[in-house]
Amino acid sequence: MKGLSAILRIARRELRRLSRNPIYLFTMVVAPLFCYYFFTSLMAEGLPAELPVGLVDNDRTTTSRSLSRNLDAFQMTDIVQTYPDVSAARKAVQRGEIYGFFYIPEGTTGKAQRQEQPTVSFYMNYSYLVAASLLYRDMRTMSELASGAATQSVLLAKGATERQAMAYLQPVVIDTHPINNPWLNYNIYLSNTIIPGLLMLFICMVTVYSIGTEVKSGSARHWLSLARGSMARALAGKLAPHTLIFTLMGAIYVCYLYSWLHFPCHCGVPVMLVVMFLGVIAAQGMGVFMYAALPSLRLGLSFASLWGVISFSICGMSYPVMAMHPTLQGVSLLFPLRHYFLLYVNSALDGYPLLNAWPYVAGLLAFALLPAVVLRRLKNALLHVPYLP
Amino acid sequence: MRQKFADYWKQASADWNYIFRNELRNIFKDQGILIFFFLVPLAYPLLYSFIYTNEVVREVPVAVVDDSRSTTSREYLRNVDATPDVRIAAHCKDMDEAKATIRRRDTYGIIHVPDDFSKRLARGEQTQVSIYTDMSGLLYYKALLVANTEASLVMNARIKTALAGNTTAEQDRVTAYPIAYESVSLYNPQDGFATFLIPAVLVLIIQQTLLLGVGIAAGTAREGNRFRELMPVDRHYTGLLRIVLGKGAAYLLVYLPISVYVLGVVPHLFRLNQIGSPGQLALFAVPYLLACIFFAMSVSLVLRHRETCIMVIVFTSLPLLFISGVSWPGAAVPDFWKAVSCLFPSTPGINGFLKINNMGGTVQDLSFEWHALWTQAVVYFFLTCWGYRHAIVASRRRYIARYRRLRARHIASAQSRTMNGTLPDEAAAAGPQ
Repeated sequence: MKGLSAILRIARRELRRLSRNPIYLFTMVVAPLFCYYFFTSLMAEGLPAELPVGLVDNDRTTTSRSLSRNLDAFQMTDIVQTYPDVSAARKAVQRGEIYGFFYIPEGTTGKAQRQEQPTVSFYMNYSYLVAASLLYRDMRTMSELASGAATQSVLLAKGATERQAMAYLQPVVIDTHPINNPWLNYNIYLSNTIIPGLLMLFICMVTVYSIGTEVKSGSARHWLSLARGSMARALAGKLAPHTLIFTLMGAIYVCYLYSWLHFPCHCGVPVMLVVMFLGVIAAQGMGVFMYAALPSLRLGLSFASLWGVISFSICGMSYPVMAMHPTLQGVSLLFPLRHYFLLYVNSALDGYPLLNAWPYVAGLLAFALLPAVVLRRLKNALLHVPYLP
Repeated sequence: MRQKFADYWKQASADWNYIFRNELRNIFKDQGILIFFFLVPLAYPLLYSFIYTNEVVREVPVAVVDDSRSTTSREYLRNVDATPDVRIAAHCKDMDEAKATIRRRDTYGIIHVPDDFSKRLARGEQTQVSIYTDMSGLLYYKALLVANTEASLVMNARIKTALAGNTTAEQDRVTAYPIAYESVSLYNPQDGFATFLIPAVLVLIIQQTLLLGVGIAAGTAREGNRFRELMPVDRHYTGLLRIVLGKGAAYLLVYLPISVYVLGVVPHLFRLNQIGSPGQLALFAVPYLLACIFFAMSVSLVLRHRETCIMVIVFTSLPLLFISGVSWPGAAVPDFWKAVSCLFPSTPGINGFLKINNMGGTVQDLSFEWHALWTQAVVYFFLTCWGYRHAIVASRRRYIARYRRLRARHIASAQSRTMNGTLPDEAAAAGPQ
C-alpha cells in the first residue's frame, strides 16, 4: 500500500513537471499529431497518378502517334512534352521536368511492315526509384501492346476472332493479386510504419529527457527519496503518466488510420490498440535502458535519436530485411520498430491472430522489461554521476 | 576621417577574429556539438550505405501451387525459378497449404497454375497464371511481378513461333516481337535502392547536423549566461555583422571538410553513382552550406535549452526527406506541402545534388535550385541578423533596467545608511550582479 501511494505521489509530481515545460507538450502531443496529419495528407493520393513523361517521336506516322496517345491514356503517365531528339529529352530529365521518355526511332513503322524488327526504347530516371518503377510498368505494357498491335491487325484481317487473336498474341496472361492492398496504396504501405516509428522515437526521447532533466536540475535525490529509495517505484511513478499520454496518442493514431481513413485492419481495431500499447511500453523500456547505458542527457538523447532514425531503415518496411547483410538481419531485432512492423503486418494487414506472431509480442514485452535489468546501474548513475553539459 | 575608418576597420576585424575563434573553441570544447558536427556526418552515411548496400532484393521465396502438373506448367515454373528475383521455396498441393507458408513467413507470395493450363494452351486458347503477393513490402510485389512477366513472355514467344511455322531463326525472332523494345535505366543502372536513397540522405545529414550543432551551441550559450542571454557581455560582442559573420565563418570552416567527405568521399566509397564534375559540385555546395548555416542560426535563436533542439529537430528528418520529392515523387506532393518544402534548404539541396551527382547535370541545368538556395541564404542571413539585433537590443535594455534598479536600490540604501549612520550591509555591498 505504501509503495502504491509513493508511486501516486511521484506520478502527481511528474504531471506537474510535464505541464511546466512546453517541450513535453510539443513532443508528446503537438509533434505526433502533426506527423499523423503530415504523412497521411502527403500521400493522400495513394498511388501517384499522371507522372510527367516525355516523348521523342522521330517516326511521325499514324502508328507512332496512336502509340503515344495510348501511353498518355494510362493512369500513371502523362505525356507533357514532345522533344525533337533524345538529347533534348535527356536534358529535360536532368532538369527534373520529366521522369522518363519513350523513344520511337525513325522508320519504325516501315521496318515493322517490312518485318525487320525495329526497336523502340523507354528511358527512365531511376534516381527517382518510386516514380520510375511505377512508370516502368506502363511503358512496358505499352511496348508489349505496340508489338501486339502490329500482329493483331494482320490476324483480324485474316478472319481470326478477337479471342483467337489474343490467344495467339498472349497465350499466358499474368493475373496479379496484391493481397490486402490491391490498390498498391503507398499511404497504407508507408504510413502504417513511419508514424508509429516517429511516435516511438518521441517516446524514447521523452523518457530519456525526463530522467536526464532530474539530474540536470539536481532533483534526482528528491525524486528517489519520494520513492523511499526504490528505483523501480520511482520509475513506475515517473513513467506512468507518460504511458497514459502516449497510449492515448497511440489510440488516436489507431482510430485515425483504421476507423477514420479506413486503412485495412483485418484484425479489428482492439487488437491494433493492444499492439500499439505494446509498442509504447517497449519504447519506454528502451528509453530507460538508453539512459542507464549512457547516463548523460546529451549522450542518452543522441543514442535515442540514432536508434530511432535508424529503425526506419532497418525495420524492413521499404527495403526488406532479407536483402540486408546477415549481421544486420540479426541487429534488426534490437529495434522495437521491427517487432511492431511484423506485428502490424501479421495482424492488421494479413489478418492472422496476434498469437501467430507471438515471438514479436514477446520481443516487445522484453523491451518493456529492459529497465529491470538496469535498475541498480540507473540508481547509481542518478545518485553519483553529475550533469555534464 | 580616414584615420577613423581605419580604426573602425581594425576594431571590426579584431572583433570578428575574436568571435570566430571563440566559436571554434566552443565547438571543439563541447562533446555534444562534436557528436553532431563530426561523429554523425562521419558514421551515419557509412551505416546507411551498409544497410542498403545490396541495392536490390533477390531470390524472394515463393510457394507454388501447380494444379496442371504438366510439362508446360513445369517449364513455366522453371523459367520463374531461373529469374534472379524469385526462388521457389515450396511446392504445395493446394492453396491452403500455400497460404500456411505465407502465414509462417516462409514465403512472400504464391504462384497458382490452373489445372487447365496446358490443355488450354494446346487448344490455342488464352490461359491465366495467378500470382498472390504479400504486401508488407512493395519490393516483394515487384520481384514476383517481374519474374512472372519475364517467364510468361518467354513462353508466349515460344508458343507464337511454334504456331507460326517459320523456316528461319530470323523469322522466329520477328514473329515473337514484330516490334522489339528495350528499357534503359538512366542514372541508376541497377535500379538500386542505395543509389536512389543515399544521396538524398547525405545532403539531408548536412542540414540536420548543422541545425543540431548550432542549436546546441546557442542553447549552451544561453544556459551558461547568467541571464539566459544568447550573447555574453563582452566588448567584442557589439557589432551585429561581426557576430553573425564571425560565427557563420566558424561553422563554414568546420563544414567545408565535412561536406567534401559526405558529398564526395562517401559516394565513392560505396560505388554509388558519381558522374557530376567536382567543380560543379563544389560550386553548388557553397550556396547550400550558406543557406544551411544561416537557416540553422535563425532556428537557434528560438531554442532556449541545450537538449530541446535534439527533441525538436531529429524527427523532422523524415518529413523533410519525404517532401523533398525523392522517396515520394515530387509530382505527387500536394501543393501546400510543396510550398512548405521551399522553406528548407534541404529541398533544393537534395534535388540539386541528385541532378549534379547522379545525373551529371551542371549548375545551369538547375537554375531553380540554384536561385532557391541563394534566396534562402540571403533571407536567412537577414533573418539571423534581425534576430541577433533583436537579442542584442533586448539584452541591453534588460541590462540598463537592471543597472537602474540596482542603482536606485544602492542610492536608497546609501540614504538610509546616512540616516541611520550604520555600516553598509552585506547584500548591498555585493553590488551589481
